[in-house]
Amino acid sequence: MQQKISPFHIAVLTYMAQAGMVLFTLPRSLADYFGTNGWLVLIPCFLLSAFNIWLISLVFRLGQGRSVFAILEQSVPKMLLYPLYFLLAGSWLIFGCMIGKKYVLVFQMLSFPSTNPMLFKLAIDVLAFLLLIKGIQGISKAATLFFWMTAWMILLLAWFIPSFRWERLTPFLLKGGHDQVKGSIEVYSAFLGYELTLFLFPHVKKNKKSIWAIHVGNLFLMLNYLSLSLICFGLFSLNQLKKLLYPVLDLLAYIQFPFIERLENLLYGFFLFLILITLVMYWWAAQLTVQRMMPKLNMKILLLILIFIAYGISFFAETLEQVNVWITNLGYAVTGIAFGLPTLLIMILLLQRKGGTTHG
Amino acid sequence: MGKLRIAAVILLLLLTGCKRDERVLEDLGMVQTSSYDLLENNKLKVVSCVPVIDPDSPVRRELLTAESDSIKEARLQFSRQTDLMVVSGQLREVLFGTTLAKAGIGGYTDTLLRDPSTALGVRVTVVEGDAGELLSKTYEPHSDTGSYITHLLEKESLGNSVPATTLYEFSRDYNDDGIDAVTPVVKNVGNKVTIDGIALFLMDKYVMKIPVEDGIIFALFRDDLKQGEATVNLGKQNGKPVIVMFSSLSSKRKVKVHKKGDGRFKVVISTSVQGSVLEYTGEEKLSAPGTRHKLEEEISKSITEKAEEMILQMQQEKTDALGIGRYVRNSLSYREWTSMNWREVYPRIEVDCHVKVIIKDYGKYS
Repeated sequence: MQQKISPFHIAVLTYMAQAGMVLFTLPRSLADYFGTNGWLVLIPCFLLSAFNIWLISLVFRLGQGRSVFAILEQSVPKMLLYPLYFLLAGSWLIFGCMIGKKYVLVFQMLSFPSTNPMLFKLAIDVLAFLLLIKGIQGISKAATLFFWMTAWMILLLAWFIPSFRWERLTPFLLKGGHDQVKGSIEVYSAFLGYELTLFLFPHVKKNKKSIWAIHVGNLFLMLNYLSLSLICFGLFSLNQLKKLLYPVLDLLAYIQFPFIERLENLLYGFFLFLILITLVMYWWAAQLTVQRMMPKLNMKILLLILIFIAYGISFFAETLEQVNVWITNLGYAVTGIAFGLPTLLIMILLLQRKGGTTHG
Repeated sequence: MGKLRIAAVILLLLLTGCKRDERVLEDLGMVQTSSYDLLENNKLKVVSCVPVIDPDSPVRRELLTAESDSIKEARLQFSRQTDLMVVSGQLREVLFGTTLAKAGIGGYTDTLLRDPSTALGVRVTVVEGDAGELLSKTYEPHSDTGSYITHLLEKESLGNSVPATTLYEFSRDYNDDGIDAVTPVVKNVGNKVTIDGIALFLMDKYVMKIPVEDGIIFALFRDDLKQGEATVNLGKQNGKPVIVMFSSLSSKRKVKVHKKGDGRFKVVISTSVQGSVLEYTGEEKLSAPGTRHKLEEEISKSITEKAEEMILQMQQEKTDALGIGRYVRNSLSYREWTSMNWREVYPRIEVDCHVKVIIKDYGKYS
C-alpha cells in the first residue's frame, strides 16, 4: 500500500504551496491599498482562508477521504465535467507558470540584467519536471527539505527590531488607501495554495489530524506574513513603503554583516525553493486534472507536454508589468476556484447522501 | 540515473547563457564613493572614486569626473574614461555639495533607490562647500578619501554626536509627514576632513545646520540614546571656565502633546540622561552628594536652554527634524491631521524641554 503523508508534512506542504512571489510585494500592497496599519487586513484574510479550509475539511469528511474526481464523476456526466477540468487545469498551469516567470524576472533584474530570462525559466522548469515525475510523495519530501532551508530566514527580521518604532505605525486605522476591493483580492492571493490540499485526500490518513495540519500550515504562513508586515510598517514610513516596489528585497539588502555585504543576491536564491514548490504544486494539480481526462497517456509524456505548453505561454508575458497583470487576473480565477470547487463538491456530496438515504 | 545525468547536463549548458552577465573582478570599477555638486550652468558635477585593485599600481584609487544632467548619465561618461566596467554595487557613501543640498536632493536619492544594485545602507552626507573638490583631494596618510570619510562618520555616529544617515533613513524621514530628514555635514580643513555639524532638511532641501558641539544635545531630543559623550559649559567660576565632561551617556526621551484649542499645541519633550562624569573643572568636590545634585541641576538647565534655543531656530526654518509632528499626528484623528497644514502650524507651537540629569558615577577619584 502507498505510504501516507504525515500531518507534519501536510502542514509543511501547505505552507510551501502558499508562500510564493506575493511575499516580496505584500507589505507594499498592504500599505498602498489600505494605508495606515494596512497589516491588520491580514487578519480577516487569514480568517477567510481558515473558513475556506473548513469547507475543504467538510469535503474530506462528507466524502470520507475519496478523491475529488471520484466524487465529481459519481454524479456529474463527463461531458459536463471535461470543460470544467479543462478550465481548472488551464488556470493552475498558467498561474504556476507566471509565478515562476515573475521570480525569474526579478532575479534577472537583480543579478543578471542582460541574460535572456527564458533561460532561467527553462532551468526552473527542468527542476520542476524532475520534482513532478517523483509524484506527490517525492514533492512532499523535497518540500520538507526546502522548508528547513528557508524557514530560518524569518529570524532575520530580528535584525530590524532596533530600528522599529511604534510611532511610525500611527494610531489611524486603514486611512489613505485606494481600490480596496482590488487590494483585498491581491492580498488574499498571498494565502492561495491551500486549496490544492483537496487533491491530497487519497494520500493522507483519514483522521482529524490531517485537516488540522492544513490549518497549522496556514497559521504558520499567517504568522510569517504578520511579522514581516508589522516590521515593514514600523521600519519604513508609510509613504516610503508605498514607493518601495519590493520592500522585502530592500530589507534583505539592508542586512550587513562585517564579513559580507549585499546579502540579498544570495538570499534571493533561497527563495527559489519556496517558489519552486508553489509552482510544482499548481502544476501537480493541473497534471492530475488532465490525467483524469486522458488516463491512458504516460505520466511523464503528459508532464512534458504540459510544461512545454506552459513554457510557451510564458513567452507572452515579457515584462514584469505584463506578468503582474497575468498574475492578478489569474489570481481572481484561482481565488474563485478555491471557494467554488469545495462548495460545488459539498453540494454534490449532500445530494449524493440524500440520494443514498432515499435509495437505501 | 541516466535521466538525472541528462538533466544535469541541460542545467549546466543553461549556465552558458549567463556569459553576457559575466563579471570578472579585476575588470570591474566598483564605485565606493560618489559626490554630486550643482554647477552654475545647472549641470551636475559627479565625481566617483574607484579603488584600484592592482597591487603594483602606485595609486590606490582612480577618480572619475563628469559633467552631466543626471547621475546615471554621468556613469555612461565614466565608462568612456576608464578601461574598467563601472558598477555601483559597492557604493558606500554619497556626498552632496552645499549648493545641491540647498536646491534639493530628493530626485537624486530617488535615482539611487531605483537602481537594484544600490542598497539602502549607502550613507548620505552633506559637504560644506564643494563635495567633488573634497573627494578629489588626498588627505595623508589616508590613501582613499572616500573610505576615510566613511570610517570617520561610522565611528563618530556611534557616539551619536552626528546621525548615521543612510539612504534608508533619509528616504524614510523624507517621506514621513511627521519628521524631517537630517544628515551629517563634513568639511575640508586643510589637511583633514572634519565633521562640521548636522544638516537639517525641509523636505529634501538643506535649510539649517546644527554645529557639531551641539550635536549630542540635538540627538538627546531626537531619539533615545544608548551611548554618547558630551561636554557642558557651565559658565565661569573665578575667571576659569567650568566644564563637565559626560561619558557613557544613555538617555530616554518622551514626547507629550497637549491640545490648546484653535489649532494650537503645547509639546513637552522630556529627556532623562544618565552618564559618568569624567572631567569637572569647577571648584566643588564631586564626592559631596549636595554638589552632585547641584551640578545635575545646572547641567540640566544648561542643556534645556540650548535645546529650546535650537528648537526656536528650527521653528523659524520650519524644519521638524526632531519629529514632533509624528507625536502631534498620533494625538489627533486622521481627519484633523490631514486637514491641518503641519508646516504652517509647526512654527507656532509651544515647545517645552525638560531634562533630568543623573550622574551615575564620577570615576575613581574624588
